[in-house]
Amino acid sequence: MDIDLSPDDLAFQKAVETFLDDNAYKPGTDYFAWRLDWFAKAREKGGWDVPKWPTAFGGPGWSPTQHYIWQRATATRQTPMDLPFGPVMLAPMLMQYGTPEQQERFLPDIRARRVNWCQGYSEPGAGSDLANLKTRAELSADGSHYVVNGTKIWTTAAHMADWIFCLTRTSDTGRKQEGITFLLFPMKQAGVEVKPIITLGGAHTVNMVHITDVKVPVENRVGEEGKGWAVAKGLLQHERTGIAGISNSLVALERLKKRAASVTRPNGTLLDDPGFRTKIAELEIDLMATEYTELRSLAAASSGAAPGPESSILKLKGTDIQQRLQKLTMQAGGLFSAAWGGGKVGPSFAREGMSGYLSSRAYTIYGGASEVQKDVIAKNVLGIARSETRMNKRGDK
Amino acid sequence: MNFDLSEEQQLIVDSVRRFVDDNYDLEKRKKYTSSTRGFGDDNWRTMAELGWLGLPFGEADGGFGGNQIDVMLVMEQFGRGLVVEPYLPSVVLGGGAVRRGGSAALRSTIVPAIIDGSAQLALATMEDQSRFDLNDVLTRAGDDGDHWTLSGSKTMVINGGSATHLVVSCRTAGAQYDEAGITLLLVDATASGVEHRSFATVDGLQAAEITFNNVQVPRDNTLGEPGNGYALLHDVMLDGILAICAEAVGAMEMLYKDTIEYTQQRVQFDHPLSDFQVLQHRMVEMFMEYEQCKSMLLRATMEVAASGSGATRTVHALKALVGKQAIFVGENAVQLHGGMGMTEELRIGHYFKRLLVIDAMFGNADHHLYRFAA
Ligand SMILES: Cc1cc2nc3c(=O)[nH]c(=O)nc-3n(C[C@H](O)[C@H](O)[C@H](O)COP(=O)(O)OP(=O)(O)OC[C@H]3O[C@@H](n4cnc5c(N)ncnc54)[C@H](O)[C@@H]3O)c2cc1C
Repeated sequence: MDIDLSPDDLAFQKAVETFLDDNAYKPGTDYFAWRLDWFAKAREKGGWDVPKWPTAFGGPGWSPTQHYIWQRATATRQTPMDLPFGPVMLAPMLMQYGTPEQQERFLPDIRARRVNWCQGYSEPGAGSDLANLKTRAELSADGSHYVVNGTKIWTTAAHMADWIFCLTRTSDTGRKQEGITFLLFPMKQAGVEVKPIITLGGAHTVNMVHITDVKVPVENRVGEEGKGWAVAKGLLQHERTGIAGISNSLVALERLKKRAASVTRPNGTLLDDPGFRTKIAELEIDLMATEYTELRSLAAASSGAAPGPESSILKLKGTDIQQRLQKLTMQAGGLFSAAWGGGKVGPSFAREGMSGYLSSRAYTIYGGASEVQKDVIAKNVLGIARSETRMNKRGDK
Repeated sequence: MNFDLSEEQQLIVDSVRRFVDDNYDLEKRKKYTSSTRGFGDDNWRTMAELGWLGLPFGEADGGFGGNQIDVMLVMEQFGRGLVVEPYLPSVVLGGGAVRRGGSAALRSTIVPAIIDGSAQLALATMEDQSRFDLNDVLTRAGDDGDHWTLSGSKTMVINGGSATHLVVSCRTAGAQYDEAGITLLLVDATASGVEHRSFATVDGLQAAEITFNNVQVPRDNTLGEPGNGYALLHDVMLDGILAICAEAVGAMEMLYKDTIEYTQQRVQFDHPLSDFQVLQHRMVEMFMEYEQCKSMLLRATMEVAASGSGATRTVHALKALVGKQAIFVGENAVQLHGGMGMTEELRIGHYFKRLLVIDAMFGNADHHLYRFAA
């Protein structure tokens, strides 16, 4: 057990930093052209465009230490905007459950970031209890396609997505988790209607998606009919580890300190204020521990062991830390944080602070609400599920 | 000791409650906040007609002769309804300064106009660098005999854009952080050299940045003794804190009750969410914190009504407690509503946003905690 980076790791770190610095965005140039080019160049480095993909599918096959180095380096430098739905969430499921034809058809576009995906899981009646979903998919008489009808809600980026991976119900018999089928279909077609939902931070990121008589060829089904729950759950594992955001929090902590130090007080700055300082210190200590919890989890995953108990802690701790960071940022802004369309009042971080704080409240709701997440840990890690029958009927999300 | 309301006080509560029920829901509130002045002109007239704008003013000035307790009753109901009319800046803050510090002549012209709603006030104390410290004042006024010449700028002035008159803290002597040498002036918002820029705040209200460029302010518009404005400001601030904490308590009540109702209706895993023990306990905590805040509100309000600034420490305690627990209640209301809690569609998000602003006004929970501990 030691924490030194080997000479190889140090060389890798240097290579990563050089790559990121050499390919940084140049202000004034075409952002989207740069974005596609960046991913193409990262690919040439040997799969740096898809760090988590297995080597068989063109991933880099990094050690946990290398993943750690990559995460830290990318957190402090600008990398292109990248939504997780395609490369991080759907891709591993296609690799595990998809046919070779599906892999060939979808993975290259996901990898090149040519096609954007969204996640059609939640419905008005199916949130934490995801298995309660009601969107119907009826197989046509000739068995060539499904006809899909239903409503999805909270679909992030549906208004920008080209395709959706969508959980549908193909059967009502048996347990709720049975009879779920995992389908892929294009968003830009008649029968798919996207309505914006504005959230508390004032942003439009989530949507309601109405699906009416949309025909989906059977080739677009991932896994067997009625066996979509396994795919759905596998995907959620990938979603959750992504949500912890430890590297970003480390960067955000330093940024918070700088911001607090820019708020002048009679005897120094806000960072010298004993109360504010103590709060930042408490946060930093939690973050230091969580950083190592993540490393332990990375190490376990790479040695091929099943994800250990550490990994289930990560979403809970990681999101709590992110929320506290946002709250302290809002508080550092003082009353200026309340200035909404205020243009130029107070420090520029203040307005961002309030909307950031409000948006951060969702971190403990999506990807499995914290309360449900704790149920999962109690049951699967500690083995102390309640014995009441009603609890046994519940979904596993 | 007696926590019962007098007949008169009960009448106030009932009529404000009725007003809120009749004139406030999310839809209507949105209409008010998106109008130019950011509130309902008809509502403002109603408040004047019902006498609420005259509540804390002395009978000699044409007021009702009420005290902080009467204002608390009004503000708590306003909090329940998320009322946006500028009662706080005009009646409690600006009005509070005029009532305490204005000469008889000045009061006789301005107070009737506040009470009938034709004048609106705003309190302009915060500056870019001052954060929560009322003594941190760079705006200056020079003594030119029969008038002051005022220069400087103020920010985050609630209702600053609609106000006809501004109560401005400025330095007539001393250095940046000195309590001595601060003077309060009543400034005509249309006077030459006054410029403002209004903007929306996260709670749907409006604030303004206001600059004063060699503004001539008549000597008789001085509130209190020149150079002794800080003590006056302190008293006004105590009233302001009591008022927004009453508002917060009203909002917290709605939040915990809405959450109970929602979790009883929302079914997941074949059960109403309210069946889950962890959520039951959370709602019990929300309820308890609401009750505790209400107790502290009553305590602080009655102490201030009895002994004024002698109760300052209790007011610090109130603001520290309410700031912290209002955010606790707001965060958990959102959490227990799940995705729905994150939308603009339900009212809980709007209460939550108002509570965030209330915490940041007149010093946040931390600020008052340190003052209390000091
Ligand atoms: C910003 C945002 C983005 C999202 N993006 C997507 C997306 O792209 N695609 C998608 O499919 N979905 C998305 N979601 C939906 C998200 O997954 C759901 O909001 C989440 O699963 C919770 O479901 P719900 O909102 O219906 O809350 P509910 O299930 O109604 O739960 C409400 C609250 O009750 C509590 N609770 C629920 N169940 C239990 C229990 N068993 N025990 C104890 N407490 C419990 C929790 O506090 C929970 O927050 C997004 C949500 C948000 C807010």
